[in-house]
Amino acid sequence: MNETPDLERVWLGVAAQIWHRPPGRVERALAALLRSDGLARALLSTPSLLLPWLLASIAVLGAGTVASLATGTALVPLLAPVVAAAGIAYAYGPGVDPAYELTRTLPIGDRMVLLVRVPAVFGTDALLGLAASAASAHAAAVTFGWLVPMAAVSAFALAVATLTRSANTGVAAGLTVWCLAVLSARAVTGHAAAAVARPALLVPYAVLAVVCAAVVLIGTSTPAAPRSGPAKRGWQ
Amino acid sequence: MNVETRGLTRSFRRRQAVAGVDLRIGPGVYGLLGPNGAGKTSLLRVLATVIPPSAGDLRLLGRDPAGHAERREIRRRLGYLPQDLGYYSGFTVVEFVEYIALLKDMPRARVPRAVASAVEDVGLGNRARSKLRTLSGGMLRRVGIAQAIVNEPELLLLDEPTAGLDPEQRVQFRTLMRRMGERATVIVSTHLVEDVGAACDQVGLMSDGRLVFTGTPAELSARGAGTGIGDAPLERGYSAVLAETRT
Repeated sequence: MNETPDLERVWLGVAAQIWHRPPGRVERALAALLRSDGLARALLSTPSLLLPWLLASIAVLGAGTVASLATGTALVPLLAPVVAAAGIAYAYGPGVDPAYELTRTLPIGDRMVLLVRVPAVFGTDALLGLAASAASAHAAAVTFGWLVPMAAVSAFALAVATLTRSANTGVAAGLTVWCLAVLSARAVTGHAAAAVARPALLVPYAVLAVVCAAVVLIGTSTPAAPRSGPAKRGWQ
Repeated sequence: MNVETRGLTRSFRRRQAVAGVDLRIGPGVYGLLGPNGAGKTSLLRVLATVIPPSAGDLRLLGRDPAGHAERREIRRRLGYLPQDLGYYSGFTVVEFVEYIALLKDMPRARVPRAVASAVEDVGLGNRARSKLRTLSGGMLRRVGIAQAIVNEPELLLLDEPTAGLDPEQRVQFRTLMRRMGERATVIVSTHLVEDVGAACDQVGLMSDGRLVFTGTPAELSARGAGTGIGDAPLERGYSAVLAETRT
Protein backbone atom coordinates (compact mmCIF):
# COMPACT_ATOMS: atom_id res chain seq x y z
CA MET A 1 0.00 0.00 0.00
CA ASN A 2 1.40 3.38 -1.01
CA GLU A 3 1.35 5.68 2.02
CA THR A 4 3.02 8.64 0.30
CA PRO A 5 0.50 11.45 0.02
CA ASP A 6 -0.10 12.94 -3.42
CA LEU A 7 1.00 16.46 -2.49
CA GLU A 8 -0.23 18.00 -5.72
CA ARG A 9 -3.67 16.58 -5.15
CA VAL A 10 -3.66 17.72 -1.53
CA TRP A 11 -2.55 21.22 -2.52
CA LEU A 12 -5.30 21.50 -5.14
CA GLY A 13 -7.85 20.66 -2.47
CA VAL A 14 -6.38 23.28 -0.15
CA ALA A 15 -6.14 25.90 -2.93
CA ALA A 16 -9.72 25.24 -3.95
CA GLN A 17 -10.82 25.90 -0.37
CA ILE A 18 -8.69 29.00 0.09
CA TRP A 19 -9.34 30.66 -3.25
CA HIS A 20 -13.01 29.93 -3.63
CA ARG A 21 -15.45 32.64 -2.57
CA PRO A 22 -18.71 30.94 -1.55
CA PRO A 23 -21.76 32.53 -3.17
CA GLY A 24 -23.80 34.84 -0.96
CA ARG A 25 -27.48 34.48 -0.17
CA VAL A 26 -28.55 36.70 -3.05
CA GLU A 27 -26.49 34.73 -5.57
CA ARG A 28 -27.82 31.43 -4.26
CA ALA A 29 -31.39 32.72 -4.44
CA LEU A 30 -30.86 33.98 -7.98
CA ALA A 31 -29.29 30.67 -9.00
CA ALA A 32 -32.36 28.86 -7.70
CA LEU A 33 -34.69 31.31 -9.44
CA LEU A 34 -32.84 31.25 -12.77
CA ARG A 35 -31.92 27.57 -12.40
CA SER A 36 -28.37 28.43 -13.41
CA ASP A 37 -25.31 29.28 -11.34
CA GLY A 38 -23.71 30.93 -14.36
CA LEU A 39 -26.65 33.22 -15.07
CA ALA A 40 -26.82 34.20 -11.41
CA ARG A 41 -23.16 35.21 -11.40
CA ALA A 42 -23.60 37.01 -14.74
CA LEU A 43 -26.55 38.96 -13.37
CA LEU A 44 -24.66 40.03 -10.27
CA SER A 45 -21.77 41.17 -12.49
CA THR A 46 -23.96 43.55 -14.50
CA PRO A 47 -22.09 46.88 -14.67
CA SER A 48 -25.27 48.91 -14.28
CA LEU A 49 -26.38 46.94 -11.22
CA LEU A 50 -23.17 47.50 -9.28
CA LEU A 51 -23.24 49.84 -6.29
CA PRO A 52 -21.49 52.86 -7.88
CA TRP A 53 -23.91 52.84 -10.78
CA LEU A 54 -26.93 52.48 -8.50
CA LEU A 55 -25.70 55.34 -6.32
CA ALA A 56 -25.29 57.52 -9.42
CA SER A 57 -28.84 56.66 -10.54
CA ILE A 58 -30.21 57.48 -7.09
CA ALA A 59 -28.29 60.77 -7.11
CA VAL A 60 -29.74 61.80 -10.49
CA LEU A 61 -33.30 60.89 -9.56
CA GLY A 62 -32.85 62.40 -6.09
CA ALA A 63 -31.74 65.69 -7.63
CA GLY A 64 -34.77 65.49 -9.92
CA THR A 65 -37.02 64.96 -6.92
CA VAL A 66 -35.59 67.94 -5.06
CA ALA A 67 -35.87 70.13 -8.16
CA SER A 68 -39.45 68.97 -8.72
CA LEU A 69 -40.43 69.88 -5.17
CA ALA A 70 -38.68 73.25 -5.43
CA THR A 71 -39.99 74.33 -8.83
CA GLY A 72 -43.30 72.49 -9.04
CA THR A 73 -42.24 70.98 -12.37
CA ALA A 74 -42.45 67.20 -12.77
CA LEU A 75 -38.81 66.43 -13.60
CA VAL A 76 -38.59 62.85 -12.37
CA PRO A 77 -40.70 61.42 -15.23
CA LEU A 78 -38.39 63.18 -17.68
CA LEU A 79 -35.21 61.92 -16.02
CA ALA A 80 -36.24 58.32 -15.43
CA PRO A 81 -36.16 57.23 -19.11
CA VAL A 82 -32.64 58.59 -19.55
CA VAL A 83 -31.38 56.89 -16.39
CA ALA A 84 -32.86 53.59 -17.54
CA ALA A 85 -31.54 53.99 -21.09
CA ALA A 86 -28.01 54.47 -19.79
CA GLY A 87 -28.34 51.48 -17.47
CA ILE A 88 -29.68 49.23 -20.22
CA ALA A 89 -27.04 50.30 -22.74
CA TYR A 90 -24.40 49.37 -20.19
CA ALA A 91 -26.05 46.08 -19.25
CA TYR A 92 -24.31 43.87 -21.79
CA GLY A 93 -23.09 43.61 -25.34
CA PRO A 94 -20.09 43.93 -27.59
CA GLY A 95 -19.44 47.50 -26.54
CA VAL A 96 -19.55 46.76 -22.82
CA ASP A 97 -18.32 43.23 -22.23
CA PRO A 98 -14.58 42.91 -22.82
CA ALA A 99 -14.88 39.12 -23.04
CA TYR A 100 -17.73 39.27 -25.55
CA GLU A 101 -15.97 37.07 -28.16
CA LEU A 102 -15.30 34.45 -25.52
CA THR A 103 -18.85 34.50 -24.20
CA ARG A 104 -20.16 33.71 -27.68
CA THR A 105 -18.57 30.26 -27.36
CA LEU A 106 -20.11 29.38 -24.00
CA PRO A 107 -23.17 27.19 -23.46
CA ILE A 108 -24.78 29.99 -21.46
CA GLY A 109 -24.43 32.45 -24.29
CA ASP A 110 -24.38 36.19 -24.55
CA ARG A 111 -28.03 36.45 -25.51
CA MET A 112 -29.17 34.54 -22.43
CA VAL A 113 -27.12 36.87 -20.26
CA LEU A 114 -28.60 39.86 -22.07
CA LEU A 115 -32.14 38.56 -21.60
CA VAL A 116 -31.58 38.17 -17.88
CA ARG A 117 -29.81 41.46 -17.34
CA VAL A 118 -32.12 43.76 -19.28
CA PRO A 119 -35.29 43.09 -17.25
CA ALA A 120 -33.28 43.26 -14.04
CA VAL A 121 -31.81 46.66 -14.89
CA PHE A 122 -35.14 47.93 -16.20
CA GLY A 123 -36.98 46.73 -13.11
CA THR A 124 -34.42 48.27 -10.76
CA ASP A 125 -34.52 51.62 -12.54
CA ALA A 126 -38.31 51.51 -12.65
CA LEU A 127 -38.41 50.98 -8.88
CA LEU A 128 -36.01 53.87 -8.33
CA GLY A 129 -38.13 56.04 -10.63
CA LEU A 130 -41.32 55.10 -8.82
CA ALA A 131 -39.74 55.90 -5.47
CA ALA A 132 -38.59 59.28 -6.78
CA SER A 133 -42.02 60.00 -8.26
CA ALA A 134 -43.70 59.11 -5.00
CA ALA A 135 -41.34 61.43 -3.15
CA SER A 136 -42.24 64.34 -5.43
CA ALA A 137 -45.90 64.10 -4.48
CA HIS A 138 -47.31 66.65 -6.89
CA ALA A 139 -46.10 64.56 -9.79
CA ALA A 140 -48.17 61.58 -8.73
CA ALA A 141 -50.47 62.02 -11.72
CA VAL A 142 -47.72 60.91 -14.07
CA THR A 143 -46.14 58.39 -11.74
CA PHE A 144 -46.76 55.49 -14.12
CA GLY A 145 -46.95 57.44 -17.36
CA TRP A 146 -43.23 57.33 -18.00
CA LEU A 147 -42.88 53.53 -17.90
CA VAL A 148 -43.74 53.06 -21.58
CA PRO A 149 -41.53 55.93 -22.81
CA MET A 150 -38.81 54.56 -20.53
CA ALA A 151 -39.12 51.16 -22.20
CA ALA A 152 -38.96 52.78 -25.64
CA VAL A 153 -35.91 54.94 -24.93
CA SER A 154 -34.14 52.04 -23.18
CA ALA A 155 -34.80 49.69 -26.09
CA PHE A 156 -33.61 52.36 -28.53
CA ALA A 157 -30.37 52.91 -26.58
CA LEU A 158 -29.75 49.15 -26.40
CA ALA A 159 -30.42 48.71 -30.13
CA VAL A 160 -27.97 51.48 -31.04
CA ALA A 161 -25.40 50.13 -28.56
CA THR A 162 -25.74 46.66 -30.09
CA LEU A 163 -25.48 47.80 -33.70
CA THR A 164 -22.60 50.20 -33.13
CA ARG A 165 -20.89 47.94 -30.56
CA SER A 166 -20.58 50.99 -28.30
CA ALA A 167 -22.47 51.58 -25.06
CA ASN A 168 -21.50 55.26 -25.12
CA THR A 169 -23.06 55.69 -28.55
CA GLY A 170 -26.18 53.92 -27.30
CA VAL A 171 -26.47 56.25 -24.32
CA ALA A 172 -25.89 59.31 -26.52
CA ALA A 173 -28.54 58.13 -28.99
CA GLY A 174 -31.05 57.44 -26.20
CA LEU A 175 -30.40 60.83 -24.62
CA THR A 176 -30.73 62.58 -27.98
CA VAL A 177 -33.99 60.92 -28.95
CA TRP A 178 -35.49 61.59 -25.52
CA CYS A 179 -34.44 65.26 -25.58
CA LEU A 180 -36.03 65.59 -29.01
CA ALA A 181 -39.24 64.01 -27.72
CA VAL A 182 -39.37 66.32 -24.69
CA LEU A 183 -38.56 69.46 -26.69
CA SER A 184 -41.12 68.53 -29.35
CA ALA A 185 -43.79 68.00 -26.69
CA ARG A 186 -42.97 71.36 -25.17
CA ALA A 187 -43.05 73.11 -28.53
CA VAL A 188 -46.44 71.63 -29.40
CA THR A 189 -48.23 71.77 -26.03
CA GLY A 190 -46.18 74.22 -24.00
CA HIS A 191 -45.46 71.50 -21.39
CA ALA A 192 -42.41 69.25 -21.41
CA ALA A 193 -44.29 66.69 -19.30
CA ALA A 194 -46.58 66.07 -22.27
CA ALA A 195 -43.83 63.75 -23.58
CA VAL A 196 -44.89 61.27 -20.92
CA ALA A 197 -48.44 62.35 -20.11
CA ARG A 198 -50.15 62.29 -23.51
CA PRO A 199 -51.99 58.99 -24.09
CA ALA A 200 -51.69 59.47 -27.86
CA LEU A 201 -47.94 58.90 -27.60
CA LEU A 202 -48.20 55.54 -25.89
CA VAL A 203 -48.70 53.58 -29.12
CA PRO A 204 -45.70 55.15 -30.93
CA TYR A 205 -43.55 54.52 -27.85
CA ALA A 206 -44.70 50.90 -27.66
CA VAL A 207 -44.02 50.38 -31.38
CA LEU A 208 -40.54 51.86 -30.99
CA ALA A 209 -39.84 49.55 -28.04
CA VAL A 210 -40.94 46.46 -29.96
CA VAL A 211 -39.02 47.37 -33.12
CA CYS A 212 -35.86 48.10 -31.15
CA ALA A 213 -36.18 44.84 -29.19
CA ALA A 214 -36.38 43.00 -32.52
CA VAL A 215 -33.30 44.84 -33.73
CA VAL A 216 -31.43 43.76 -30.58
CA LEU A 217 -32.42 40.12 -31.05
CA ILE A 218 -31.32 40.18 -34.69
CA GLY A 219 -28.18 42.13 -33.85
CA THR A 220 -27.06 39.65 -31.21
CA SER A 221 -27.37 36.67 -33.55
CA THR A 222 -24.63 35.92 -36.06
CA PRO A 223 -25.81 36.10 -39.66
CA ALA A 224 -25.32 32.72 -41.22
CA ALA A 225 -25.01 31.77 -44.84
CA PRO A 226 -25.95 28.09 -44.90
CA ARG A 227 -24.57 25.58 -47.31
CA SER A 228 -26.59 26.77 -50.23
CA GLY A 229 -28.06 30.16 -50.74
CA PRO A 230 -28.08 33.33 -48.70
CA ALA A 231 -28.17 33.80 -44.93
CA LYS A 232 -31.25 32.37 -43.26
CA ARG A 233 -30.58 32.15 -39.56
CA GLY A 234 -27.89 32.74 -37.04
CA TRP A 235 -26.05 30.86 -34.33
CA GLN A 236 -27.06 31.84 -30.84
CA MET B 1 -12.93 12.34 -35.34
CA ASN B 2 -13.48 15.40 -33.15
CA VAL B 3 -13.26 17.89 -36.00
CA GLU B 4 -14.57 17.14 -39.47
CA THR B 5 -14.92 19.77 -42.16
CA ARG B 6 -15.56 19.43 -45.86
CA GLY B 7 -15.37 22.39 -48.19
CA LEU B 8 -15.58 24.71 -45.19
CA THR B 9 -15.81 28.31 -46.34
CA ARG B 10 -16.24 31.55 -44.46
CA SER B 11 -16.69 34.77 -46.36
CA PHE B 12 -16.69 38.35 -45.15
CA ARG B 13 -18.51 40.29 -47.85
CA ARG B 14 -16.76 39.24 -51.07
CA ARG B 15 -13.56 38.05 -49.45
CA GLN B 16 -13.15 34.37 -48.60
CA ALA B 17 -11.17 34.22 -45.33
CA VAL B 18 -11.53 30.43 -45.29
CA ALA B 19 -11.81 28.86 -48.73
CA GLY B 20 -12.91 25.25 -48.90
CA VAL B 21 -10.97 23.67 -46.04
CA ASP B 22 -11.15 19.90 -45.49
CA LEU B 23 -10.09 18.63 -42.07
CA ARG B 24 -10.33 15.39 -40.13
CA ILE B 25 -8.71 15.72 -36.74
CA GLY B 26 -8.81 13.31 -33.80
CA PRO B 27 -7.17 13.52 -30.37
CA GLY B 28 -3.69 15.04 -30.34
CA VAL B 29 -2.12 18.42 -30.89
CA TYR B 30 -2.66 19.98 -34.30
CA GLY B 31 -0.62 23.04 -35.22
CA LEU B 32 -2.12 25.56 -37.59
CA LEU B 33 0.57 27.59 -39.29
CA GLY B 34 0.41 30.37 -41.83
CA PRO B 35 1.33 33.98 -42.47
CA ASN B 36 -0.77 36.88 -41.21
CA GLY B 37 -4.11 37.00 -42.98
CA ALA B 38 -3.95 33.35 -44.06
CA GLY B 39 -7.30 32.58 -42.42
CA LYS B 40 -6.15 30.82 -39.25
CA THR B 41 -8.13 32.99 -36.87
CA SER B 42 -11.26 32.87 -39.04
CA LEU B 43 -11.03 29.08 -39.19
CA LEU B 44 -10.63 28.86 -35.41
CA ARG B 45 -13.58 31.22 -34.87
CA VAL B 46 -15.76 28.96 -37.02
CA LEU B 47 -14.57 25.87 -35.11
CA ALA B 48 -15.23 27.69 -31.82
CA THR B 49 -18.82 28.43 -32.97
CA VAL B 50 -18.26 32.18 -32.73
CA ILE B 51 -19.27 32.54 -36.36
CA PRO B 52 -21.00 30.03 -38.63
CA PRO B 53 -19.53 28.86 -41.91
CA SER B 54 -20.74 30.46 -45.12
CA ALA B 55 -20.64 27.10 -46.89
CA GLY B 56 -19.43 23.53 -46.40
CA ASP B 57 -19.98 20.81 -43.85
CA LEU B 58 -18.89 21.05 -40.23
CA ARG B 59 -19.08 18.50 -37.43
CA LEU B 60 -17.52 19.04 -34.02
CA LEU B 61 -17.25 16.25 -31.45
CA GLY B 62 -19.58 14.20 -33.63
CA ARG B 63 -22.31 16.88 -33.59
CA ASP B 64 -23.65 19.42 -36.05
CA PRO B 65 -23.27 22.92 -34.54
CA ALA B 66 -26.07 24.28 -36.70
CA GLY B 67 -28.60 22.83 -34.24
CA HIS B 68 -29.12 24.78 -31.02
CA ALA B 69 -29.09 21.82 -28.64
CA GLU B 70 -26.09 20.19 -30.31
CA ARG B 71 -24.21 23.50 -30.38
CA ARG B 72 -24.79 23.88 -26.65
CA GLU B 73 -23.42 20.37 -26.04
CA ILE B 74 -20.37 21.20 -28.15
CA ARG B 75 -19.81 24.41 -26.20
CA ARG B 76 -19.90 22.52 -22.90
CA ARG B 77 -16.99 20.43 -24.16
CA LEU B 78 -15.09 23.26 -25.81
CA GLY B 79 -12.22 25.43 -24.66
CA TYR B 80 -11.32 28.53 -26.63
CA LEU B 81 -8.63 31.13 -26.29
CA PRO B 82 -9.35 34.02 -28.66
CA GLN B 83 -6.56 36.03 -30.21
CA ASP B 84 -7.62 39.05 -28.14
CA LEU B 85 -8.83 37.90 -24.76
CA GLY B 86 -10.99 40.58 -23.26
CA TYR B 87 -11.08 40.49 -19.50
CA TYR B 88 -12.77 42.19 -16.58
CA SER B 89 -10.07 44.27 -14.97
CA GLY B 90 -11.72 44.25 -11.53
CA PHE B 91 -11.88 40.44 -11.36
CA THR B 92 -9.15 38.39 -9.74
CA VAL B 93 -7.59 35.48 -11.62
CA VAL B 94 -9.73 32.99 -9.71
CA GLU B 95 -12.91 35.04 -10.07
CA PHE B 96 -12.48 35.29 -13.85
CA VAL B 97 -11.75 31.60 -14.36
CA GLU B 98 -14.61 30.69 -12.02
CA TYR B 99 -17.01 33.00 -13.87
CA ILE B 100 -16.19 31.35 -17.20
CA ALA B 101 -16.47 27.90 -15.60
CA LEU B 102 -19.98 28.72 -14.39
CA LEU B 103 -20.95 30.04 -17.83
CA LYS B 104 -19.64 26.76 -19.21
CA ASP B 105 -22.42 25.14 -17.22
CA MET B 106 -20.07 23.23 -14.93
CA PRO B 107 -21.71 21.91 -11.75
CA ARG B 108 -20.98 24.37 -8.93
CA ALA B 109 -19.54 21.67 -6.69
CA ARG B 110 -16.86 20.85 -9.26
CA VAL B 111 -15.88 24.44 -9.95
CA PRO B 112 -13.50 25.35 -7.06
CA ARG B 113 -11.21 22.38 -7.62
CA ALA B 114 -11.31 22.73 -11.41
CA VAL B 115 -10.41 26.41 -11.12
CA ALA B 116 -7.54 25.67 -8.72
CA SER B 117 -6.25 22.98 -11.07
CA ALA B 118 -6.41 25.24 -14.14
CA VAL B 119 -4.75 28.15 -12.34
CA GLU B 120 -1.94 25.88 -11.10
CA ASP B 121 -1.54 24.33 -14.56
CA VAL B 122 -0.67 27.72 -16.02
CA GLY B 123 1.64 28.58 -13.12
CA LEU B 124 -0.43 31.41 -11.68
CA GLY B 125 -0.99 29.94 -8.22
CA ASN B 126 1.00 32.75 -6.61
CA ARG B 127 -1.18 35.37 -8.35
CA ALA B 128 -4.51 33.61 -7.92
CA ARG B 129 -6.05 36.47 -5.95
CA SER B 130 -4.46 39.28 -7.95
CA LYS B 131 -6.70 41.62 -9.91
CA LEU B 132 -6.37 41.09 -13.64
CA ARG B 133 -5.48 44.75 -14.16
CA THR B 134 -2.28 44.19 -12.18
CA LEU B 135 -1.00 41.34 -14.39
CA SER B 136 1.51 41.49 -17.23
CA GLY B 137 0.57 40.59 -20.82
CA GLY B 138 2.11 37.13 -20.49
CA MET B 139 0.22 36.47 -17.28
CA LEU B 140 -3.05 37.55 -18.87
CA ARG B 141 -2.35 35.14 -21.71
CA ARG B 142 -1.97 32.38 -19.10
CA VAL B 143 -5.25 33.42 -17.49
CA GLY B 144 -6.78 32.99 -20.94
CA ILE B 145 -5.34 29.50 -21.19
CA ALA B 146 -6.64 28.68 -17.69
CA GLN B 147 -10.21 29.63 -18.59
CA ALA B 148 -9.92 27.58 -21.79
CA ILE B 149 -8.89 24.38 -19.97
CA VAL B 150 -10.96 24.76 -16.80
CA ASN B 151 -13.70 22.41 -18.05
CA GLU B 152 -11.20 19.80 -19.27
CA PRO B 153 -12.39 20.31 -22.85
CA GLU B 154 -12.53 17.59 -25.47
CA LEU B 155 -11.83 20.23 -28.10
CA LEU B 156 -9.36 22.96 -27.23
CA LEU B 157 -8.82 25.83 -29.66
CA LEU B 158 -5.96 28.20 -28.95
CA ASP B 159 -5.24 31.27 -31.05
CA GLU B 160 -1.66 32.44 -30.61
CA PRO B 161 -1.43 31.06 -27.06
CA THR B 162 2.30 31.68 -26.67
CA ALA B 163 2.21 35.36 -27.65
CA GLY B 164 3.76 37.29 -24.78
CA LEU B 165 5.10 34.23 -22.94
CA ASP B 166 8.78 34.10 -22.06
CA PRO B 167 10.86 31.08 -23.21
CA GLU B 168 10.50 29.21 -19.92
CA GLN B 169 6.73 29.68 -19.91
CA ARG B 170 6.54 28.55 -23.54
CA VAL B 171 8.32 25.32 -22.65
CA GLN B 172 5.89 24.75 -19.78
CA PHE B 173 2.97 25.54 -22.05
CA ARG B 174 4.11 23.00 -24.64
CA THR B 175 4.18 20.36 -21.90
CA LEU B 176 0.63 21.32 -20.95
CA MET B 177 -0.47 21.11 -24.61
CA ARG B 178 1.01 17.65 -25.02
CA ARG B 179 -0.73 16.50 -21.84
CA MET B 180 -4.06 17.92 -23.01
CA GLY B 181 -3.54 16.29 -26.40
CA GLU B 182 -3.39 12.83 -24.86
CA ARG B 183 -7.16 12.78 -24.48
CA ALA B 184 -8.46 15.86 -26.35
CA THR B 185 -8.11 17.51 -29.72
CA VAL B 186 -5.96 20.59 -29.34
CA ILE B 187 -5.73 22.98 -32.29
CA VAL B 188 -3.13 25.68 -31.91
CA SER B 189 -2.88 28.58 -34.30
CA THR B 190 0.57 30.11 -34.31
CA HIS B 191 3.25 31.52 -36.53
CA LEU B 192 6.00 30.28 -34.25
CA VAL B 193 7.14 27.13 -36.02
CA GLU B 194 9.27 26.01 -33.06
CA ASP B 195 6.07 25.59 -31.01
CA VAL B 196 4.75 23.28 -33.70
CA GLY B 197 7.93 21.27 -33.87
CA ALA B 198 8.04 20.79 -30.12
CA ALA B 199 4.42 20.02 -29.31
CA CYS B 200 2.37 19.06 -32.36
CA ASP B 201 1.63 15.63 -33.82
CA GLN B 202 0.12 17.07 -36.99
CA VAL B 203 0.46 20.38 -38.73
CA GLY B 204 -1.62 22.29 -41.26
CA LEU B 205 -0.33 25.24 -43.25
CA MET B 206 -2.78 27.85 -44.46
CA SER B 207 -2.33 30.42 -47.18
CA ASP B 208 -5.00 32.72 -48.61
CA GLY B 209 -7.74 30.83 -46.81
CA ARG B 210 -6.72 27.44 -48.17
CA LEU B 211 -5.03 24.55 -46.44
CA VAL B 212 -1.93 24.06 -48.60
CA PHE B 213 -0.19 21.41 -46.49
CA THR B 214 -1.18 18.80 -43.95
CA GLY B 215 1.14 16.25 -42.41
CA THR B 216 3.56 15.72 -39.58
CA PRO B 217 6.16 18.29 -38.56
CA ALA B 218 8.80 15.92 -39.95
CA GLU B 219 7.05 15.84 -43.32
CA LEU B 220 6.90 19.62 -43.38
CA SER B 221 10.61 19.78 -42.56
CA ALA B 222 11.32 17.36 -45.40
CA ARG B 223 9.64 19.69 -47.88
CA GLY B 224 12.33 22.27 -47.17
CA ALA B 225 15.33 19.98 -47.58
CA GLY B 226 17.95 21.73 -49.70
CA THR B 227 15.73 24.71 -50.32
CA GLY B 228 13.64 27.34 -48.56
CA ILE B 229 14.51 30.20 -46.30
CA GLY B 230 15.03 29.81 -42.58
CA ASP B 231 17.36 28.72 -39.83
CA ALA B 232 15.58 25.54 -38.81
CA PRO B 233 14.30 22.62 -40.91
CA LEU B 234 10.67 23.43 -40.06
CA GLU B 235 11.13 27.06 -41.07
CA ARG B 236 12.65 25.95 -44.38
CA GLY B 237 9.77 23.56 -44.99
CA TYR B 238 7.27 26.29 -44.10
CA SER B 239 8.76 28.81 -46.48
CA ALA B 240 9.26 26.23 -49.25
CA VAL B 241 5.59 25.21 -49.19
CA LEU B 242 4.46 28.84 -49.17
CA ALA B 243 6.80 29.63 -52.08
CA GLU B 244 5.39 26.70 -54.05
CA THR B 245 1.87 27.89 -53.36
CA ARG B 246 2.61 31.42 -54.53
CA THR B 247 4.15 30.26 -57.78
